[in-house]
Amino acid sequence: MPEQTSNGMQCHEFDGLLSDALDGLLSGAKLDRFQAHARACPACGPLFAEAEAGRNWLKGLTEVEPPAGLVENILASTTGIASDRLRAPALSTPPRVSWLERVQARFSDAMQPIWATVRQPRFAMSFGMAFFSLSVALSVVGVKPSDLRQISLRPAALRHTYYNTQARVVRYYDNIRLVYEVQSRVRGFKRSLTPAEPGPVKPKDRKNDTSKEPEQKQERNYSQTENNLILACAPLGPSVNDLPVVSVTTYRRFV
Amino acid sequence: MEDVQVVAMLVRRCIAGDSAAWEEIVQTYNRRIYNICYRFAGSGDDAEDLTQEVFIKMYRTLSSYDSSKGAFVTWVTTITRNLLVDHFRKTKQDRMTDSMDATTEHEDAQPLSEQIQDQSAPPDAHVRQREVGETVHAALGKLSPELREAVILRDLQDMDYREIANVLKVPEGTVKSRINRGRAELARLLQRTYRQVM
Ligand SMILES: [Zn+2]
Repeated sequence: MPEQTSNGMQCHEFDGLLSDALDGLLSGAKLDRFQAHARACPACGPLFAEAEAGRNWLKGLTEVEPPAGLVENILASTTGIASDRLRAPALSTPPRVSWLERVQARFSDAMQPIWATVRQPRFAMSFGMAFFSLSVALSVVGVKPSDLRQISLRPAALRHTYYNTQARVVRYYDNIRLVYEVQSRVRGFKRSLTPAEPGPVKPKDRKNDTSKEPEQKQERNYSQTENNLILACAPLGPSVNDLPVVSVTTYRRFV
Repeated sequence: MEDVQVVAMLVRRCIAGDSAAWEEIVQTYNRRIYNICYRFAGSGDDAEDLTQEVFIKMYRTLSSYDSSKGAFVTWVTTITRNLLVDHFRKTKQDRMTDSMDATTEHEDAQPLSEQIQDQSAPPDAHVRQREVGETVHAALGKLSPELREAVILRDLQDMDYREIANVLKVPEGTVKSRINRGRAELARLLQRTYRQVM
């Protein structure tokens, strides 16, 4: 409808259509009226040209790269500050995790299903545990089931295998014992700093609470100093308190 | 733009205490939030602080996100925008004025068409392009905050008018009007800088 030209559209209507016009969304009669108004109106004509120019300038701006470490800082400030609110259970575990604790946690996680099956018939429990400890001890020192098949059953050879394996077990536990001794001393030291009250999580519950371990670990690494101080007093996680300490004393007599 | 169900699941995992899900959210949105903050606040340092504040706020209020009320990205942008408003109220703006003038001095009046469309790319083409970008960025900082946020969300973040209206809590018509004025005002500022009519 070209005959409607300038007085076919008011300035406020032009303003409402301007962005659509720049987006190329106007067509037909609407576009004609729009263009006619732009030509005729002393205010809207320049506005159209300027808006188009301004948009082109802005479109020329490229995205800037966030500074390195931004994500780490965000994670530290969020999971650090808000963890006591959003996920209170995280506080019951220590903030820093040694490689040993990590290995133990992964190990006990992996053993969870096995544990569940073995424990079901109660009478088989002690038997299962004995077998379990044996296989764990053997696998820890590098004896695979396939090796066992090839063991010679002659008394001399058997004795040789026995001493050989025992030596490896002893060497391994000699090394590991040092680590545990240091650990238990640190633990004792922490306990002496902790008020006499028991920790927030009972040992029984802890065994079932390993599902959240991996993510808690990650967040611990980024925890803030303030939280470290609080968390250092909390009792240690499930992995440390379970099997290893007992095993050490057992094998000590062995030596 | 975003898979609603994927995001909803991510948020649920996050609220349940899954820090991997939270990290994914941070990884996905930090760039966007940083860029909005940078373009609005003007400086990289402020943008970094503000981005962290946005995520802290997000982390604390994540459970209040209602996917039926809008896209997650709109929610995130709203938090960002509200913090930018607070930031603006705290620090009165004059900061960009000086850098704008400084840029003008070592920028000769070469027509923009030559600067941008020169595809033969001499060694310092990148430098020049960056200078142009800095000038536009500085001009953006001179816009009133209402116009600035509107053009940032539209032209830099490619949000549609309805989403922007949602974030700014104003009618769509107002959004369009602000975008028009913001773009035009920016062009006038740059026109003065480059003494060149587009
Ligand atoms: Zn008009």
